[in-house]
Amino acid sequence: MSSIHSTMTLASVTRPPTVDLVKSGLKRRYRAERRFRSYGMAAVIMSVLFLAFLFFSIVSKGYTAFQQTFIRLPIHFDPAEIDPTNPAAANYDGMIRQALLKRFPTVEGRNARRDLFALVSPGASFQLSAMARQDPSVIGRTVEVWLPANDDIDMLVKGQIDRDLPETERRLNNDQLEWVRSLQAENMIEKHFNRIFFTAGDSREPELAGIWGAAVGSFYTLLVTLVLSFPIGVAAAVYLQEFAPKNTWTDIIEVNINNLAAVPSIIFGLLGLAVFLNFFGLPRSTPLVGGLVLTLMTLPTIIIASRVALGAVPPSIREAALGVGASKTQVVLHHVLPLALPGVLTGAIIGMARALGETAPLLMIGMVAFIVDIPKGLTDPATALPVQIFLWADSPERGFVERTSAAIMVLLAFLIVMNATAIFLRRRFERRW
Amino acid sequence: MSPFTLFILLLGLSAAAYFVGRRKAFAVGRKIGGVNRMHSLPTYYGVLTALWCGIPALLIFSCWLMFESNVITSLVIAQLPEEIRSLPPNRLGLIINDITNLVHGNIVGGEVNRVIEQAAEHYRGLKAISHAALATVTLSLAILAVILVQSRISPRLRARNRVEQVFQMVLIACSCIAIVTTLSIVLSVLFEAIRFFRAVPISEFLFGLNWSPQLAIRADQVGSSGAFGAVPVFIGTLLISLIAMLVAVPIGLMAAIYLSEYAHKRVRDVAKPLLEILAGIPTVVYGFFAALMVAPLIRDTGGLLGLAVASESALAAGLVMGVMIIPFVSSLSDDVINAVPQALRDGAYALGATQSETIKQVVLPAALPGIVGSILLAVSRAIGETMIVVMAAGLAANMTFNPLQTVTTVTVQIVTLLIGDQEFDSPKTLAAFALGLLLFVVTLGLNIIALYVVRKYKEQYE
Amino acid sequence: MMKKVAVVAGFLFLAASIGVVGAQTSRDYISIVGSSTVYPFATVVAEQFGKATKFKTPKIESTGSGGGFKLFCAGVGVEHPDITNASRAMKKTEFDTCQTNGVKEIVEVKIGYDGIVMANAKNAPEFNLTRKDIFLALAKQVPDPKGGETVVPNPYKTWKDVNSSLPNIKIEVLGPPPTSGTRDAFTELALEVGAEEFPWLKALNKSDNKKFKEIAHTVREDGAYVEAGENDNLIVQKLQTNTNALGVFGFSFLDQNTDKIKGAKIDGKVPTFENIASGAYPLSRPLFFYVKKAHVDVIPGIKDYLAEFSSEKAWGPDGYLAGKGMIPMPDDERKKYAAVVKNMTLLEMK
Repeated sequence: MSSIHSTMTLASVTRPPTVDLVKSGLKRRYRAERRFRSYGMAAVIMSVLFLAFLFFSIVSKGYTAFQQTFIRLPIHFDPAEIDPTNPAAANYDGMIRQALLKRFPTVEGRNARRDLFALVSPGASFQLSAMARQDPSVIGRTVEVWLPANDDIDMLVKGQIDRDLPETERRLNNDQLEWVRSLQAENMIEKHFNRIFFTAGDSREPELAGIWGAAVGSFYTLLVTLVLSFPIGVAAAVYLQEFAPKNTWTDIIEVNINNLAAVPSIIFGLLGLAVFLNFFGLPRSTPLVGGLVLTLMTLPTIIIASRVALGAVPPSIREAALGVGASKTQVVLHHVLPLALPGVLTGAIIGMARALGETAPLLMIGMVAFIVDIPKGLTDPATALPVQIFLWADSPERGFVERTSAAIMVLLAFLIVMNATAIFLRRRFERRW
Repeated sequence: MSPFTLFILLLGLSAAAYFVGRRKAFAVGRKIGGVNRMHSLPTYYGVLTALWCGIPALLIFSCWLMFESNVITSLVIAQLPEEIRSLPPNRLGLIINDITNLVHGNIVGGEVNRVIEQAAEHYRGLKAISHAALATVTLSLAILAVILVQSRISPRLRARNRVEQVFQMVLIACSCIAIVTTLSIVLSVLFEAIRFFRAVPISEFLFGLNWSPQLAIRADQVGSSGAFGAVPVFIGTLLISLIAMLVAVPIGLMAAIYLSEYAHKRVRDVAKPLLEILAGIPTVVYGFFAALMVAPLIRDTGGLLGLAVASESALAAGLVMGVMIIPFVSSLSDDVINAVPQALRDGAYALGATQSETIKQVVLPAALPGIVGSILLAVSRAIGETMIVVMAAGLAANMTFNPLQTVTTVTVQIVTLLIGDQEFDSPKTLAAFALGLLLFVVTLGLNIIALYVVRKYKEQYE
Repeated sequence: MMKKVAVVAGFLFLAASIGVVGAQTSRDYISIVGSSTVYPFATVVAEQFGKATKFKTPKIESTGSGGGFKLFCAGVGVEHPDITNASRAMKKTEFDTCQTNGVKEIVEVKIGYDGIVMANAKNAPEFNLTRKDIFLALAKQVPDPKGGETVVPNPYKTWKDVNSSLPNIKIEVLGPPPTSGTRDAFTELALEVGAEEFPWLKALNKSDNKKFKEIAHTVREDGAYVEAGENDNLIVQKLQTNTNALGVFGFSFLDQNTDKIKGAKIDGKVPTFENIASGAYPLSRPLFFYVKKAHVDVIPGIKDYLAEFSSEKAWGPDGYLAGKGMIPMPDDERKKYAAVVKNMTLLEMK
């Protein structure tokens, strides 16, 4: 008794009261608290800044692509040159050259004239040919047509070319700069909305290149993916979650499916190459094979999301249904599945969004060729939007840099819409048990 | 009639069969004093009728169409003149291609000669006969089935059980597809990888230090020595993944902590979707961003500081990959931290701990297994990432841990080896499959470990 | 249980049958593979062809000349390509492979010339290389610097080591892989000729051709030569960011990017259109494409595509291919190959 007493007296003499100990440490601890909190906030702000930086750089590089420079020229649809039964085959290049020469009559010499003709896009003649074919009344008249300018001129007008560089280091020489200046003075050269970008397929010339071919290819591919992966995925999830007996086999299956969801997408491309192209002999570079490969990739995601949604429905619902005499199938079809549907749909939409952005597996099955025509069906050769971005990113022409960024903007827009729909659905229809 | 119309017709017939069966069920029910005296609900009788009508007919429909083109082609070939029939199968295939193009109304190559035209006419005729026969058979089968089943509807017919059996079989079939997929991925990659390991010993692959796979492709060409030691490639992958994790784990974890513990509900509602957007951006966009904007930035900064930075430094690729992985770490950790019960936190507050101390000493240790699991999953994602490294990392195998130099990764090598020359006999192409197998095994291992860690150390609180 | 087995079996049977059906689909577009050097030219012609005629635009993949020949010579049939582009002539071994696999009737068409350039970024130092320098810098084994008639593993690290008049920069060359025709042409035109500057190696070429080829054609693998894939545009981009590196690719890529890169002088000659056309620039080689005669009347549009390619509008001195950097053939050669296209003259190799 006395020893304890003495220890206590000793303690209270040499050590200050606990309250003071705590008080002296408080400032330090509050500072640590504020630091920690600021680290957290900094982390969130940094992530958001990354996102903003990414968006800003892409948009700043790409927004100029939504406009295309056009040159207004009076084109004389010479009836002597055009055969009324086949208006598409006339020499429209010649007519464009004549119009240019009329505007700049002082240009002489083969080289100088070639530079003059290079102001207009090489594909402009096809625009005239289409005009003549659709409206034969233009034959014999002189019509003011807005023709797309060549990609170098386009870059010049958009301010991407440094006029101060010495002439040999530029792609446009001084004469060409002078001609453009004089055209600008007469309002014969203007920037219009770039419809070509949204309606044309791929092209070697940036001013004629568009994303419509890739968009249609992506659409068909996603269609195949959706039609195949959604029913199969949901059905598999229902079976595995509700009906399958719980033994080692189902455990192995669960582990396998979870792993498939994390397998790098390029492995699915290898599988597609080995099985679909080599073994089955399906045609290369088609949305059919692309869709099949992406189905394999999306199946695990849909299965896992559906299983989670089905598992979130409380057992009381199932038991109640069984209690009033429903069969197992009726419980699932009439009660569990409808309640789990929002979660299932969200999973499907997120799976589709992932499939839309995938590039690597499509590279392996050959959707990386140069394809100009818009695909009309599942077995026409096609490319997909992310693959088109990958291909354009390698092209040297400046015009493609801005178009790649614009294509990225379109892709991101689609993805944001899809993800927003998923989030909206989840928020609106989610039930809290 | 065209197959498509027939298909729609069959579907429509099945729908009609449903109503017929259902009506019959009601009629039978009324005779015995109420529908509820029958074994199943009337809907089930209807569905049963529809299934009997539709499934056999559709089965015959698909089998018929599947073999139709082969049968017609052989019949047409039999009618072709002798000299064409005796051509080797490849040349014959081209002729058939021409005939089918003509039949489908596609543009034909070259002049259309008499023989091809006749063959095409023959083809068209056979096709018309086949379609007519198909229509007759399937439609009559469907109608017969409806009549038969409908007559068998009785109170004791256990329609519901039958329908549910069919339903279950459909479910099982779909599950089998998912399982078959897993198996086929493993098998196909394994098969090709085994062929590779017959040519190149495993020990050289796993432990060799020299990676130059660009073999000569012809007998008289001299190419690289064909060394397949993959260690430099592994090191490249490790280096870039390490840099990515160094970026993603602190930022992701701290962001998760802040959003779940400190943030106002409104901030959380805005920040969480933004982070999910970061996760949804396609990797090709990240790759473009890394190659075009981040890599030159790092190189210029390095130049200013006097460092020799390669133009495709591992740092650039790693940084951007880290940014891509932040949402993974963040959302997975967020779920885990939220799952820690409030009681633990309240206990700590009651003892006088500040919020940060609670988090550091109570919440995080409680959530640690889940966080470790999420980090492992993020690592496996980083290892398997393709597009960012294809666009921003290099192609030369370089065995270094210096982030300012160029390295190449497993995924880049897979892509490089398979785009272009794809002969499936040379070790060069097969090496890609061996790398793929390795990737699969490593990510599988990481996922299993993550699952195991979470399961074993997860605390059961309630 | 039996029912379930039956269902699964039926399903797999169905799945396998799809493969049977799939193999029967017909193709109504032209399938082209091959050289990445010819790719920019072929795609332009294909686009013109597709827009101007009612035929579908051909599908063109860039696989490298060697890869293209492999696919081309795999056989005749719908699933094999119709045309392959090449930046070098078909070798006898490839011709034999074609014959063995049933591709017996091949038409060879030369389309023009192309120079191989070694280029670097505009703001990087200028290089004035001889072919001997190139051989010493890039070969895996070089003659012993101390003299004598033996070869040692390449010890040179910087260009200055190779030739004291060259800049003191680490040797770093981004070049094509063995599937590329440019690689074959580069080895033959630059490395081989550079090796023969050593008299004893020149003698070795005559006495033991195989050993000579081993020394002259094997490129070093210690990182100084990087195989940068079939994508020449990517090499151009990498040169801009890496000012120490030199890239090896076709002249058209230099011509289309004069504002970003410049070509090195080879044996004193600058790579320009005129120098290559006149033959003064030493590294110049012809470009070809090869057509399977068996496919011509069967796949729609091949004849018209060939006509478009061999028209003056395309490959002539004022044609659009010259505008893309291809060196046109002299008049008599153009006439000769236009006739080959018209008559489908077959290629013979003894």
